[in-house]
Amino acid sequence: MSELKRTQLYDTHVAAGASMVDFGGWEMPIQYPTGIVAEHLYTRHFCSLFDVSHMGRLLIEGPQRVEFLQHVLTSNVMALDVNEAQYCIIPNENGGAIDDAYLYRFEEDRFLLVVNAANTEKDLAHLCEQIKAYDCTLTNISGEYASIAVQGPKSRELLTKLSGGAQLTELVKNALGTVQMEGRQVRVAKTGYTGEPLGYEVFLKSEDAAWLWDRLVELGAKPAGLGARDTLRLEAMLPLYGHEMGTDPEGKEIPIFSVPLAKFAVSFSAQKGNFIGREPLARQYEAFQKIQNRIFEGTEILPRRMMPITLVQRGVMRKDMPVYQGDKLVGYVTSGTMVPYYVAEGEGMATNYTDETAKRALGLAMLDSNIQTDDTVEVDIRGKRIKAVIPRFHMSVMAPPYARPILYTPPVQGDAAKGANYRSEAFELIRKATENHIWRQKRCVNLIPSENSASRAVQLLCASDPAFRYAEHKKISSFYDSEIFYYQGTKFIEHVEALLVEQMRQYLGATEVETRVISGQMSNMAVFSSLMDFKNRNNRKVTPQRLGYILHNHIMKGGHLSAQPMGALHDYVAVDPVTERNAVVPFPVLPENHYKIDVEQTKKIIEQYRPEFIIFGKSMVLHKEPVKEIRQFVDQMGLKTTIMYDMAHVLGLIGDHFQKPFEEGAEIVTGSTHKTFFGPQRGIVGVNYKPEDLKWGLWKTIESRAFPGSVSNHHLGTQLGLLMAAYEMNTFKDEYQRNIIANAKHFAKCLKAEGLDVAGDPAIDYTETHQVIVNVGYAMGYDIAERLEANNIIVNYQATPEEESFTASGALRMGVSEMTRFGFTKEDFAKLAALMADCILRNRDVSQEIAKLRSEHLEMKYCFNDEEMNEALGNFLGVLGI
Amino acid sequence: MKNPKELQYSKSHEWVKEENGIAEVGITDFAQDALGDVVFVNLPEVGDEVTAGETFGDVESVKAVSDLICPISGIVCEINEELLDSPELLNSDPYGAWIIRVEKITEWEKLLDADAYEVFCAEEG
Repeated sequence: MSELKRTQLYDTHVAAGASMVDFGGWEMPIQYPTGIVAEHLYTRHFCSLFDVSHMGRLLIEGPQRVEFLQHVLTSNVMALDVNEAQYCIIPNENGGAIDDAYLYRFEEDRFLLVVNAANTEKDLAHLCEQIKAYDCTLTNISGEYASIAVQGPKSRELLTKLSGGAQLTELVKNALGTVQMEGRQVRVAKTGYTGEPLGYEVFLKSEDAAWLWDRLVELGAKPAGLGARDTLRLEAMLPLYGHEMGTDPEGKEIPIFSVPLAKFAVSFSAQKGNFIGREPLARQYEAFQKIQNRIFEGTEILPRRMMPITLVQRGVMRKDMPVYQGDKLVGYVTSGTMVPYYVAEGEGMATNYTDETAKRALGLAMLDSNIQTDDTVEVDIRGKRIKAVIPRFHMSVMAPPYARPILYTPPVQGDAAKGANYRSEAFELIRKATENHIWRQKRCVNLIPSENSASRAVQLLCASDPAFRYAEHKKISSFYDSEIFYYQGTKFIEHVEALLVEQMRQYLGATEVETRVISGQMSNMAVFSSLMDFKNRNNRKVTPQRLGYILHNHIMKGGHLSAQPMGALHDYVAVDPVTERNAVVPFPVLPENHYKIDVEQTKKIIEQYRPEFIIFGKSMVLHKEPVKEIRQFVDQMGLKTTIMYDMAHVLGLIGDHFQKPFEEGAEIVTGSTHKTFFGPQRGIVGVNYKPEDLKWGLWKTIESRAFPGSVSNHHLGTQLGLLMAAYEMNTFKDEYQRNIIANAKHFAKCLKAEGLDVAGDPAIDYTETHQVIVNVGYAMGYDIAERLEANNIIVNYQATPEEESFTASGALRMGVSEMTRFGFTKEDFAKLAALMADCILRNRDVSQEIAKLRSEHLEMKYCFNDEEMNEALGNFLGVLGI
Repeated sequence: MKNPKELQYSKSHEWVKEENGIAEVGITDFAQDALGDVVFVNLPEVGDEVTAGETFGDVESVKAVSDLICPISGIVCEINEELLDSPELLNSDPYGAWIIRVEKITEWEKLLDADAYEVFCAEEG
């Protein structure tokens, strides 16, 4: 046998007492003295280090690097921007895998391809043969650079200590960055092979490898060997070449699409063109789609697919063990072992992991394509048939910072309806609703920035007769665009709606207003649908094109769901054929303030993407949006871009104290009427188009996408209430808006003075809106928000731009609108800040003091509450008889 | 960990402790250390016949399966059911966690005492 190869960290492993084994010709640590189980668990709950320097690191440079990689990899290399990585497969001509790999683009003009250690020589031989036809070079830099995987919930914290606080990468998976760590250059990738939602692989000069390893160990990371790496990747359902890829136990080639990840790793885009194995892969893909639709005829090219499997009886599965369903052999285990986990207690966001651990027998198996999730099967373990099931997955990464084990539970059967005493339940409902109303309206300090309470007048109007009516109506050109109503008894409603349109037109400074949409999200969807319709108006004979590019605020930078592809944009946004991803691009934000749009960088983005649609507005909002600057730039460039400002949060702030969107250059304003505005809960769309404008047609479309596009019943009770709210707003806005902003700034300053970490720019007193954001520590948001709720303070836990998910929220998002409306002054907010600091920092029970503070402010301000009005409302209430 | 003087040891790293015609069989500290984290033990049933030099079950670590070789012939009269739920006892307490008890012993493999076993292990590395 030839001499085993050693990585740059060999001596470090030996010194740490690792058991070294031969792994693909490399002398590698299988485990350290604590053992595989402890290493696995430490990765899941803290942070482990894996030496992955044995893997092949190949640098591809030269003019035809993209063409070459497109030809030899399955992925779409054109989709890879600088500082992004992608999973890919090196295919052979038959649609099988020579290897699987990761492609990194740390720099504009070179790519780094990382391949499996045991396959490096085979890969090199193949790639060096293929590269001859291309004007580019491939260099094996495995010796000059080492690679360490730093995986687990604490990985970012530890690496960021070494980077002196500099951000490593963007938060999303596959993001890359280059940082200095104590004077050494380290390339960081948010990638890994453990399934950890927080995990990095770093590349650095060989001579720096031991230094980084030791520094991370000093900071609390622990080394983990190949054994734990295998149990971790198995739990994460990640394929391993030689198990789930390559050849099966009979020596037959495993088709690439047998592994579900292939869906992401293989591209048939036009830009990619032909590549090695494209034709058989296209046939596999066709079969894959059929199988997903449970059609099994004509899928012979893909007889089996990789699925998770778990034992429900005692035992351990191992590679190559046969799997049966009844008497039928349905496949074989490709990987299997016992995997440890921490036992959880509690539910939902309150899930906590105990110190107790347990183990479960997990595996991956290649199973006949007709085997489905929740099927029961048997594994032949050395002659004994042991019962197993096919779970959906072994763990989930959807709730960072933890990769969370999902223990198999059989599908739930619905309970038969129980005999119920509906009358007593009706009483119980009234009792609970009363309790809730008193709590939320009289004892709680509500700081949810997206909420407000409505005046008595608004509430009574909402509950009056129109709440039960229909009033569908539409402008009919045959009658000179008169509004034609479809129902009788609606003349009052028609009158009210016309008044509301006029009041909102005045308030927004719009030329036209649509009031029938019943939520902010619906407002946006009506506009998106209209833009798409308008775009396609000249050709109705083909499937309409979707919108793109769209410039928006990313959800991780404070954007709202109503402007995200996974939210309201879902059915309207195009897919870019080059990147094969949604045609959205986020506003860049200032490096020193992630809550603020970087105008100069935005201009570059606009030059590059020439967006057809720009959506301003967000839900974590501390600053004015740069509408004016961007409007000027778009006009200078001569673009026909439509600029919309989603003012959901700040609708009630429009005016001298905040922004005047149409004066600044927005064409469309959408919003919800119950956050800073005076409620009730509805949506609104305003535009500044005139009949002579090209986009007048867009306005007409917005009307028709509101009705009949979005609503048939447009909730006439709240529409009536909204008219009263608009009267209130148009009367009191100057004083209200001034106080809102002054209160927010003062509240922020007081919280800061009390020792809390207030987000934003101190130079502007942290906020220009009604919102105040307080950082309470990574992933602590939920616990603190729960504690505050128990103390009668209602806030909203939120992820900051530095956190990847709401489950890892480290911030409290608060707004002063509702309490300002109930008459809270600066002094009241100062008192509140002190009590909150007591509760957050010192865990003191402040519930009674908060209830008292709240009880001193029960009368609503900024509405008509004089004696005469109260008498009129009293009479109205009597008439309503409710 | 010191190998107890009162036990006898096989070259396949099992230990035997005999009292009143009944022998307990387990695995040695050296064996558990080499195996790594034990996650599953496959036990025979009470009444099964076991033969010196042949397998009587297996023990699985995260890494691999290893056969258990019986140093004596006889009949299994008891199995350590605690190991089914807590196989890690073989790691934490190898000389307390017996695996089977054997009665009606008919044959003994040639076994080592603690000192000889220690020398044997040192040679095996």
